[in-house]
This record gives sequence, C-alpha cells and structure tokens, in this order.
Amino acid sequence: MALSRRTGGRSRLTIALLVLSSLTLLTLDFRDAAVVQSARRGAATVFSPLRGAAETVSAPFTTAWRGIADYGDVEDENAELRRQVEELQGQAVLEEEAAQQLGELLPQLDIEWIGDIPTATARVIAGNPSNFSHTIDLDKGSGAGIEVGMPVVNGAGLVGQVVLVAEDRSTVQLLTDPDFQVGVKVLPGGATGTARGQGHGEDLLVDTGLEDDSEGLPRTGDAVTTSGLELSAFPGSIPVGTVADLRETGGLTLELVVRPQADTEKLSFVTVLLRPVPDP
Amino acid sequence: MTPPTPLRVALRTSLVVIVVLAIQLGIAPGLSLFDVQAELPLLVAIGAGISTGPDRGAIIAFGTGIAYDLLLQTPFGLSALTYALVAYAVGGMQDSVLRAAWWIPVTTASIASSVGVILYGVFGTVLGEDLINLDLLRIAAIVGLLNALASPLVLPAVGWAAGGRGRSMPMRAVYR
Repeated sequence: MALSRRTGGRSRLTIALLVLSSLTLLTLDFRDAAVVQSARRGAATVFSPLRGAAETVSAPFTTAWRGIADYGDVEDENAELRRQVEELQGQAVLEEEAAQQLGELLPQLDIEWIGDIPTATARVIAGNPSNFSHTIDLDKGSGAGIEVGMPVVNGAGLVGQVVLVAEDRSTVQLLTDPDFQVGVKVLPGGATGTARGQGHGEDLLVDTGLEDDSEGLPRTGDAVTTSGLELSAFPGSIPVGTVADLRETGGLTLELVVRPQADTEKLSFVTVLLRPVPDP
Repeated sequence: MTPPTPLRVALRTSLVVIVVLAIQLGIAPGLSLFDVQAELPLLVAIGAGISTGPDRGAIIAFGTGIAYDLLLQTPFGLSALTYALVAYAVGGMQDSVLRAAWWIPVTTASIASSVGVILYGVFGTVLGEDLINLDLLRIAAIVGLLNALASPLVLPAVGWAAGGRGRSMPMRAVYR
C-alpha cells in the first residue's frame, strides 16, 4: 500500500514536470526563439534521407491504396475534366477577344507584372505530415536561394509561403493553414482586406471592413489577388481566388468567402518567388 | 528473464521512434482514409503507457512528441504535452487492467488515439489554432480506426523497445 502510494506520488511529480516542460517549450516557440527554429532546421535536414527512403519504398503500396480509396474521386475528376475539355474547346474561339479585353483591363487595374522576379521551380516531395499540419516540403532550399518568408505560387495562383529552409529542402505553409494571412485586393472594385486560411479543403475568409450599404461591394465571381502593400512579403497581383460568397460577420461588416485558385491538395511542382523579404 | 538495461531501453526506444516517424512522414500521408492519416507517434505514446505504466510511459511519450514536433510546423511542445498526458492516463489504467485478451490493447489504443486527437485539438485551440469543430470529431474517429489497424504492429514494437512490465504474462484478460 505504502509502495503504491509512493509510486503514485512519483508519477504525479513526473507528469507535472513534463507538463511544465511542454509549457516552457510552447512559450519559447511563441516567442520565436531562435533555438527552436535551429532545432527544426537540423531535424528536417537529418530526417530528410530517412523520409525519402520511406517514401520510395512505400510508393507502390501508397499508389495502390490511393487507387482503392480514391477510386470514386478519380472517376468524378475524370468526368469533370472531360466536361472542362469540351467547354474549353467551345471557348477557344472566344480566346482572342478575351485576350484583347484583358490587355485593355490590365492598365486600369494597375496590375504589377511579376515576370521580372527571379524564381526557383521546385518539386513537392512531401505532403502534410500530420492531420493538423498544413505544410508541404519542397526539394530545394537555401542552396537554390530560397529564404523564409518567400511567396510560393503555381500556374493557378498563390500556394503559400516558405516557413522553414534547410540546404536542399524547404517547408511551405499552405494558404489554407489557419495561421496563414495575406493582404488581398478584390477586383474590379478594389476593396482590400486580409485573407485567412480555414483548413484543408476549406475556402479562405476575407474581412474587408465593408458594410452592407458600402459602395462598390464585391460580387460573387470577382477575382481576388494579393494587394502587394508596402512591407508585404507578397508582391501584388498574384491570383488568390474568386469570391464565392458574401456573408455578415457578428458585427456590421461583411466577410468574403474566397475559393482558392490553386488546388493545394494536388501539388506536384511549385514556383518560389526569390524576392527579398521585407523586414517587418 | 533479466530486464534490459536503461541504455538498451533508450537505444531501442529511439530506434522505434525514428522508424515510426519515418513511416509517419513518408508513408502515412499516402495511406490516408477520407483525407485523414494515422497518427503513429501517438500510438507509440499509447504503447509506452500500456507497456511501462504512467511514469515511464509519460516520459517516453514526451520524448516521442518532442521528436514529432521538431518535424512539424505546429506549436512546438503541443504534441509532447498531449502525448505525455495520454500515456499517463493509459498507463494509469494499466494498473487496473493488466495483460489482456488481444482486443483489449487494440481497443484501448483506438479509444486513446481518438481522445488524444481531441485533446490535441482542445490544447491547439487554447493556443489560438482554432481546431475545435465538427471536423475534429471526424478526424478523431478515423484516427482511432487507423491506429487500431496499426496497433498490432506498433504496440509489440514499443513493448519490445521499452521492456515493459509483465511482458511474459499470459495473453488472457486478468483483472485486478
């Protein structure tokens, strides 16, 4: 009995110390302690070969599993793609006219062309490592000029932002991450706001500060791009998504539901904009 | 049978944790079910609790959580905190339920995995991650199922590594 009580007391002391240690680490992380980032960089570098080996060995099995588990989705996607091909064939004749209209609109919308920014194209080598993480890993790192804070895009638009860099690997926080924020502009109205991620497969939310009776309210289907305001890590005019809905917040202002342009669930290659990250 | 030395336990446990993390990061994302993947490091934590009790189980779970946190971009220490508490709770239950029929550790692992996911969501929300929603319950349920499927491989590996008490006990339900 006495032994059991002593053991129970020791267990409680152990768990209390572990909880305290965890809280200390969480506090260090929230204060952006350099030691945490260094440890993460080191761990990513050391673990990279093991992870790569596991991915290579398991590739046939994971492919087979996806074939089984996602069969319905693949069929749906196939049907959707066929429909889109037919639609695009029909629209091809309108392309020339659309291009002409775009040429007229660009100067009006003051779109900044990002073609001059140096880029690094990288392959996505790992998806989300856990159910609560919203990151992907790329096969290029500081060796390719990539730095923390740089924007990541693909052909469709904004994908996310680099949050961790090792020599030959980097980690990108996806725009669907609830911690992700980016300044955006709604076109053609010009309303600005901050877009926030809402998790896997979810739309973004943009609080514009606009009220129900404000002039130039955004409409469903309006384009949303990065605003590129001064000191923003993101250059302007990167497509972010389209307005899917407008809804009232708890207050008087309206919130935009924005469907991301880039499909973050199916990324193979992305482009990192090698743009110096402004100091906050 | 003489119990393994602390050094041997540390080496074996490190080996198991490294292998499990490699599988979690390299393989588990490709074996997801309804876009939810198994949480194998959490299963290691639960296995440590089952094998070694609340005290050592919580320490091993804490170490596993730290290692996992190093490889994620989630709050550093969140997995460690959650895993330590889950292992402590599971280890405490093992004082009442010793070696058991094969399905009891599997069921324990499944339920504890779901509870661990919800606990992670609660702590994450306290830290500003906004994780409490209906999707959390869906994730918890699927993680419980996937971890139950993985437990016949992971739990014995953790038991071997941690040199748990009662390893030679008969595989029958024994209630105290």
